[in-house]
Parts: sequence; structure tokens; C-alpha cells
Amino acid sequence: MNKMRAEEFAGLLRQTGDKAYNFAYRLAGNEQDARDLVQEAFARALEHSGSYDRARAFDSWLLRILHNVFLDGVRRLAHRSTVSLDAPAPVEDGSWNDVLHAADLTAPDELIRRESIDMVQLALERLPAHYKAAIVLCDVEGMSYDEIARIMDVPVGTVRSRIHQGRLLARQAYEELEKRGGRRS
Amino acid sequence: MNGHADGPELSAYLDGALSPEPRARVELHMSSCADCRAELDSLRHMKLALSAAPRKAMPADLALALERRFVEGAAAPWYAAFTRPVIWAPAGALALATFAVSLWLRSAATLDEIPLEPLLAAHARYSAEALVPEDNLVASNYSDQLSDLGDAPDYE
Repeated sequence: MNKMRAEEFAGLLRQTGDKAYNFAYRLAGNEQDARDLVQEAFARALEHSGSYDRARAFDSWLLRILHNVFLDGVRRLAHRSTVSLDAPAPVEDGSWNDVLHAADLTAPDELIRRESIDMVQLALERLPAHYKAAIVLCDVEGMSYDEIARIMDVPVGTVRSRIHQGRLLARQAYEELEKRGGRRS
Repeated sequence: MNGHADGPELSAYLDGALSPEPRARVELHMSSCADCRAELDSLRHMKLALSAAPRKAMPADLALALERRFVEGAAAPWYAAFTRPVIWAPAGALALATFAVSLWLRSAATLDEIPLEPLLAAHARYSAEALVPEDNLVASNYSDQLSDLGDAPDYE
């Protein structure tokens, strides 16, 4: 299969850029790592564009590459520490003041909404990589189980299990954060 | 269905990922199980909370950098590098510097190699000869002119 022409790649880059960045941000939890993930994913996509099957959706193929880049990074980190891809991560100790950004002092309703969003992101960050990727693809990106199975390169049964387990862990982390911080309502 | 609904099956039901038969089974069970209904509600809230997070758009500078790196670089013909101002600026400066140095070397060599004295001598000779009438420049020997007078016809 031929490599992509530059114009074709430019079009796909524009179409899928936001989706790739959003996925990267939810996985990484910060802007700098999300940028690095996206750049590396597009570099690999261009390098291996000859193996891209045009009958399939480009965004699924790209997200699969991005997911692999992310897992490579997690594995490198795991060599240096005790990070696991599957084991549930404990919710870290710390006061609500440590968690909240001091600059987020705006109108009460907006603050409550932002706190809730921040807590969802914080809960996500505490999930092991596999569960996090599964629920981000399902609940944030709205992808089907079949698409997620292709992206994560696992059977659909595994996807189903990871999504459910991921939701339970996210709920647990969210409730833990809420309990410690005292959600204002 | 004995006991409660299978957890992953409950999530799959929530996501609309069950085929008709297991879906009917789960619905039948939930019609009589308050715990499973409560669990399904809880999972639904978590799903909604996750999907409600605002989407992060790719920063404009990153999009531009990607396009420059992967598209413009890949599409450019071999001669494109020579059309960029970034190439021409140092090339122009180098050419200008080379021209200036060559001019300086040439003028220095001219001053060193051409002595002044022969030029002054030539100038002096030219000035002296310019005083002689133009028609006598070839025969300026007066002895020859006097002997020519001796050959003149006698008028007596």
C-alpha cells in the first residue's frame, strides 16, 4: 500500500487533530504530555501510513497509535517506579486545598461546575492506564465496543470488562475526592 | 438470572452494546431488582459525568507546528529550500562579504604593484613634448632642418 500524499495527510490531520488531542489530554492529564503524545502519534502515523487500511476509519487507526504511544510511556515509567497498567491506583492523600487551583475563584455556580469537572479529571488520572483508556474512549469519545477493541487491540469481552471496572474505579475515586474535599452545593 | 445482574453486562446494557436476547434478560431482571436498578443509575451518573467534561481542542500553535512538520516538509519539492527567505538571508550576506573582501584585496594589490615614478616621468615627458608644434613632432632635429635649407633653390 502506498504512503499517503502530503495533501491527504494534511486533511486527515485537520479532521482528527481535536479528537486526538482530547484523547491524549484525558489520558495524560496535562497539556504538555498531551502535546508530546499527539506529536509522536502523528509522526508514527505518517511513518507507517503505508500500512493504513483506507477501508477503515483513520481516527480509530490514529487513536490506536496514540494509545500505544501512551502505553509505551507508562511502561517506561513502570520500569522506574511501581506504576501498573491494570492494578487500581490508590487515591492519594491530600487536602482539598491541595487539589483545588487557587486561581479558580469565580462565581459559585461556575465554581461548583468546574470543581465537578476537575474531580472527574482527577478521578480519571488515578485510574490504571487500561481502564482509563477504555472509559475515555467509551464515555468521552463515544466509541462503540468494537471500535475500542480495535484501538486497544483486545477482544470485545475484555473491553466490556475494562469499561465496567473503569467506571467502578472512577466512581470510587470520585467519591473519595468528594468526601475529602467536601463538595459545595 | 440468579442473584444480581452481571456487572459488565449492566455497563454494556447502559451503552446499548447488548444483543437483543441478553438485553431482554437484563430488563426482565431489573424490573424486579431494586439493587440492580440503583446500580445502573449510579453507573449512568458516572458515564454522564465523564461525558460532560468539556472537550479539549488542539491548541492552534500545535496544529500549526504539526502541519509545518509533517505536511509542508513532506510536500515541498527539492528546490523549495532555495526559495525560503531563511536560506537567502545568510547566502546574500556571504556573497556581499565575499565581494567586499575581493574589492579590498584588488585595491591593495594595485597600490603595491604599480610604482609612481614611471607615471610621473611619463607625465613630464608628455608635458615637454606638448610644447613643440604638432607638425614638427616627427622631425624635431634642427641639424636636419638646417641641411635641408642648404638644398634650397638659388633665386638669384
